[in-house]
Amino acid sequence: MGNYFSSMFDRLWGANRELRILILGLDGAGKTTILYRLQIGEVVTTKPTIGFNVETLNYKNLKLNVWDLGGQTSIRPYWRCYYADTAAVIFVVDSTDRDRMATAAKELHLMLQEEELQDAALLVFANKQDQPGALSASDVSKELNLVELKDRSWSIVASSAIRGEGITEGLDWLIDVIKEEQM
Amino acid sequence: MSAQTYKKFESAGSSDLPDKMTIYQDCMNTFNESPVSAKRCRLLISRLLRLLSSGETFPQTEATALFFSISKLFQHQNDSLRQVVYLAIKELSGISEDVLMATSSIMKDVQNGSDIVKPNAIRALTYVLDESTAFSAERLLKNAVVSKNQSVSSAALCTAYNLLPISEVTIKRFSNEAQEAIMEVKTAPMSARSEFVSKAPHITQYHALGLVYELKRNDKMALMKLIQQCSDGFVLKNQFARMELMKIVNDLIHRDTQLFAQFQQLFNVWLQDRSSLVSLETAKTITTFAIAHPRLVSPDLFATTVNVLRKLMNEFNCGAKLGAVKVVNKMAMVSPEKVAVCNPELESLLSMSNKELATFAITTLLKTSNEDNISNLIGRITEFVHKVSDDFKITVIEAIRTLSLKFPKEWKVIIKFLIDVLKNSEGAAKFKSSVVEAIIDIVAFVPQSKELALESLCDFIEDCEYNEVLVRVLHLLGKEGPSTSNPSLYVRHIFNRVVLENSIIRSAAVIALSKFALTKNDPTLKDSIVSLLNRISNDTDDEVRDRATISLKLLGSEHSFAKDLVQSKYYYDLNSLESKLTTYISTNEDSFKTPFDVSQIRKFSEDEMKAIELKHKQDRVFKSTDNDESGNRDAIAPATVSTNKRKDNDTYKGADLHEHEQDLLESKYADELSGMEEFKEFGKLINSSKVTPLTESEAEFVVRAVKHVFKDNIVLQFNITNTLVDVALDNVSVVCSAEDPENSRLEELFTLPIERLAPAGESACYVAFKKSTDTVMKGFLNTLHFTTRELNPDTHEPFEDDEGFQDEYEIDSLFLNAGDYIKSSFVGNFEATFDQLPNEEVAVYNIQEDLSLQEVIDKLVLNTSCLPLSNTQFAPTDSSSHVLKLFGKSALMGTKVALVIKMIKSSKGVALKAQCRTEDATLCADIVNNLM
Ligand SMILES: Nc1nc2c(ncn2[C@@H]2O[C@H](COP(=O)(O)OP(=O)(O)O)[C@@H](O)[C@H]2O)c(=O)[nH]1
Ligand SMILES: [Mg+2]
Repeated sequence: MGNYFSSMFDRLWGANRELRILILGLDGAGKTTILYRLQIGEVVTTKPTIGFNVETLNYKNLKLNVWDLGGQTSIRPYWRCYYADTAAVIFVVDSTDRDRMATAAKELHLMLQEEELQDAALLVFANKQDQPGALSASDVSKELNLVELKDRSWSIVASSAIRGEGITEGLDWLIDVIKEEQM
Repeated sequence: MSAQTYKKFESAGSSDLPDKMTIYQDCMNTFNESPVSAKRCRLLISRLLRLLSSGETFPQTEATALFFSISKLFQHQNDSLRQVVYLAIKELSGISEDVLMATSSIMKDVQNGSDIVKPNAIRALTYVLDESTAFSAERLLKNAVVSKNQSVSSAALCTAYNLLPISEVTIKRFSNEAQEAIMEVKTAPMSARSEFVSKAPHITQYHALGLVYELKRNDKMALMKLIQQCSDGFVLKNQFARMELMKIVNDLIHRDTQLFAQFQQLFNVWLQDRSSLVSLETAKTITTFAIAHPRLVSPDLFATTVNVLRKLMNEFNCGAKLGAVKVVNKMAMVSPEKVAVCNPELESLLSMSNKELATFAITTLLKTSNEDNISNLIGRITEFVHKVSDDFKITVIEAIRTLSLKFPKEWKVIIKFLIDVLKNSEGAAKFKSSVVEAIIDIVAFVPQSKELALESLCDFIEDCEYNEVLVRVLHLLGKEGPSTSNPSLYVRHIFNRVVLENSIIRSAAVIALSKFALTKNDPTLKDSIVSLLNRISNDTDDEVRDRATISLKLLGSEHSFAKDLVQSKYYYDLNSLESKLTTYISTNEDSFKTPFDVSQIRKFSEDEMKAIELKHKQDRVFKSTDNDESGNRDAIAPATVSTNKRKDNDTYKGADLHEHEQDLLESKYADELSGMEEFKEFGKLINSSKVTPLTESEAEFVVRAVKHVFKDNIVLQFNITNTLVDVALDNVSVVCSAEDPENSRLEELFTLPIERLAPAGESACYVAFKKSTDTVMKGFLNTLHFTTRELNPDTHEPFEDDEGFQDEYEIDSLFLNAGDYIKSSFVGNFEATFDQLPNEEVAVYNIQEDLSLQEVIDKLVLNTSCLPLSNTQFAPTDSSSHVLKLFGKSALMGTKVALVIKMIKSSKGVALKAQCRTEDATLCADIVNNLM
C-alpha cells in the first residue's frame, strides 16, 4: 500500500525528479557528519574531506542528491564547479568557532552572489549547539548578516549533528520551501 | 595555431574516430544531467577513452572540465559505470588540473566499494594523491595490503610502489605489511571473473617483493635475509616473484661480488625451475655476472647455464626462446667461444617464422662464428635478408658491420654480401643508407677493401633513387678515390652524375670532383678536372655554379691553405667548436667585427679521428649489451611513474666509463685552459690526459687531476670539490714535489690557487712547469694546502672575527708517464707498419699482483694512451695467453708508435713481454719501460 502511494506521489511531483542539495561551510563545521547522519542516522568518524562526498537519500518521498564539499581553503575555490542545477544550499557553521565567523560570512555571501544559485533556497545550521560556549542561532544569524539577504527563502536552525538535534527540523523546512517554490 | 581550435578528421586514418569537439560537448551535457543515465554515460566514456588512446588530447581547461563532470558520476552507484569512471580518471589525470577533488570519493570506494571496484579505486589513488595528501590514505592502503583478497592486496601494493617517489615518508611505513604479504597466501575472489584472476595465482607475492625491495634497497643485510627466507622451500609460489627475487640477487652480487658464491645453491636449483621465466632470469644473472667477473663463476655452473639456455631455445614458447637468444647474444659479444656450443640451436631458429627471433639468432651467430664458417653463414643470411622487412634488414646489416671490425680478413665476403644486398634487395632509403654506411666503415678500417668497394659503389649510383644515399657515396668517392690506383675511373662516374642528376646531387658531385684535382699519382688529372669544373660553372642551379666557381678559385690559389679546404686533412673537435661558437655569439661586443678564431679549436688528424671513431664503435657494441637492462627495475610499475627514472640503472652496467661524458669533459678542460692568460705563452695545448682521481670519491675534499702537455711546458690541473657543508676553503693550492728532486728536468714556474672554494663548490688549481727535454717522466707527491673558514649559516659568509686556520690534506701521487705524450691513432695494416718502424726496444715485466688478463690489458691501454687494434683489447676467456696490439702517435712530433705485448697468466701472476717500435728513437725506451 505504502509503495503504491509513494509511486503515485512521485508521478504527482514530476516523475523521478532528483533534488540537488549542496552542503557547504568551512572545514570542521560538521558537514560530513550531517550528511551521514541524514543518510544512515548515525555519527560516523570523519576525516577532512579532500574533494567531496555525494550520497543519494530518500526523504519524505523525495530523492535527494546531497553533495558535501570539502571546506578547506584549498578546496573552496572548487565549490563553484558544483553549483549548476542546485535546488538548495545547506550552509553549516561551527557555532563555537567565533574566530572564523567573519570568514564564514564572507564565503557565504560570496557564494550567494553566483548566478547559478539565484533560485536556491538557503538553510543555515548553527551547529555544535551541544558544546558549551556555542553562539545561539540568532547570534550566528547576526554574525552572518542573514537579514541582508533579499529575494531568497532562508532559515537558520540550531543543531547538533552529534546528538541529532535540529537536523530534521531544518530539512523539513527546506523541503517545504522547495516544494512550494520549485515544483 | 591556438590551442583552442579543433580540427575535424585531423590525420589520415583517424577518420573513423569520433569528433573531439562533439564528444566533449556530449560528455559535458550527459554527465551533468539529473538523474544520471548510467548506460549512456558508460558508452560516452568509452568513446572518450578511445579518442584518448588513439593519441588525441585535450587542452588543460577542457580536460579539467571533463574531469570535473566525470567526477560527478560518483553520485551514481553502479559498478560498471564506476569502472569506466576509473579508467577515465586515470587517462585524464595526466592532462587535467585539480584531480585531487576526486580523492574523498575514491577513498570511500576503497573503504566500502564492491569487490569489483575496490581494486580500481585503490589504483586510482596513485593519480590523485600528492605529497600532502598521501598520509590520509595510509590506513586505508595498509588495510588493503593485508587484505585476504588477492586483487585488493595486489592493487594496494602496486599503488604503494607507485606512491613511493611521491610520498616516501608515508610509504616507508609499509614495510611490515608488505613483508607479510610476501609470505601470506592470498585467495582470488570468487566471481564471474575468477577464471581471469586465477591465471596469475599468488601474484601478490611478486608485487609485495617489488615494494619490499624498493623500501630496503640500501639495506644489504635486510635483502640478504629476505632472499634467505624466500628461497627456502616453496615460499614463492608465483613465478614472477621468483624472477623478481633473482633480480634482487643480481643487484646484490653486482654490489658485492663476494656474495656470488653464497647463492650457488639457489642458482643450481632455479636454473632447473619449472617456470622458464625463472630459469631464464637465473641464467641471465649468471651470465651477466660471468661477463664482468669470469673468474668467480665455476666452469661447472657456467656449463650448466649454457645447457639451460640451449634447452630454452628449444622450448615451444617464443618468449622463452627470444629471452634465451638475447642472453646468448650478450655473452657472444665478449666471449663467443663460450657459447659457440649453442650454434645448432641458433641455426634451427633461423627458419622460424617469427622474424624477430630469426634476426636475433643471426646477429648472435655472426658473433659466434669463426673464420671457417663465416662465409657459409653469410650465404644463409643473404637468403634471409631478401625476405624480411626493412627493420630486420637494418639490424642484420648493423651486425655485419661490426663483424667487419672483427674479421678484417673476411672483408671480401662481407663487401660482396653488402653490395649484393644493396643492389638486389628492395628497401627504403634508411635501409640503403645503412648498407652504404657499413661499406664506408669497411673502407675506413680495412684499407685493402677500398678499390673493390668504391668500384661497386660506382655501379650502384648509376641507378640509385635516394638523394641522401647518393650524396654519401659521392662524398666517399671524393675522399678515398684520389688515393686509389686509377682515380680517373671515378672521375668519369662522378661526372656522369653531374650530367644526369638533380641539383642536390650535382652540388655534391662538384665537391667530390674538385678533390681529384689534388691527386698525387696522376698530375694530368688536374687539368681535366679544371676544364670539367669550368663547364659546370655554367650550370642552371645557383648552388652548383657557386660550388664550381669556388672550387676553381681554391685550386688556382698558390696557398697550401686553399688546398686544405678542398681536401681537408684535419677534423675539428666538434664539442669544442660548438662551445667556442656559442661563446663567440653570446659575447659579441663589436657586432662581429673580430672574426671567429678557429685556431683555438682542437684539431684531429685523419688517423686520430679514425681512432676515436673506432673506439666509439667498439664501445657501442659492448655498451649495447647493457641497454636492454635499463629500466627493468620498473618491471612491476604500471606506466604512471615512468617520469621517475630510477637512479640505480647503472648497477647493472659494469665499468661504464661514460666515454662520451669523458670526451666532453676533456674538451671542456682544454677549452678552459687555452682561454687563460697565464698559459698564453706556452703556445698550443698538445695533449691532455684522462681525468685521474687522487682521492676516494667519498673524501671530504675530492681531488681529480688532468695532465696537460705543451711544447716546453707541463700544466697539472687539480679539480677540487669541497664536500663540507658549512666551511669554505680559502687560498687552496696543491703543492707538488717531484719524487727525486735532484735530477728533475722539470722546473716549477707558478701555481694558480683557488681564492675561495664554497661548500659544495668545485674549482681548479693549476701548477705549471717548464721542461728541459721533450718527454719528461716523473712522479709527484701532492698535498692540498688551504685555510678553512667557518661560515655563518645565515649569511653564508665567513664570521668576521674568524681568521681561519691553515691546514693540509694529503692526496695520492700523480705520475707523468710516456702515455701522456702519446695520442691514440688508427692504422689499417698494423703488422706491416710495425715491421717497417726502425727503432725497437723490448722489456719484460712480471706482475705479482693478482690481476686478470683483462685488468692488465685495460691498464696497458690506459697507461700508453694507444689504440688497441684487431680487437685485441679483449682478453680471451679460454686461454691464459694473449697478444695485445697497440698503436699511437707522439703528441709532440707526430711520429708513429707501435707495441706488441705478449702476456701469459700463470699461478705466479702475469708475465709480459713488450716489443715497442717507433719512428723516433728517444720515445721507444721511455714507453717500453713505463708500461706498468
Ligand atoms: N560537538 C560536536 N562536534 C561535532 C558536531 N558536528 C560535527 N562535529 C565534529 O566536528 C568535527 C568535524 O566534522 P566534519 O563533519 O568532518 O566537518 P566538515 O569538515 O564540515 O565535514 C568532527 O570531529 C565531528 O565529530 C556537533 O554537532 N557537535
Ligand atoms: Mg567534510
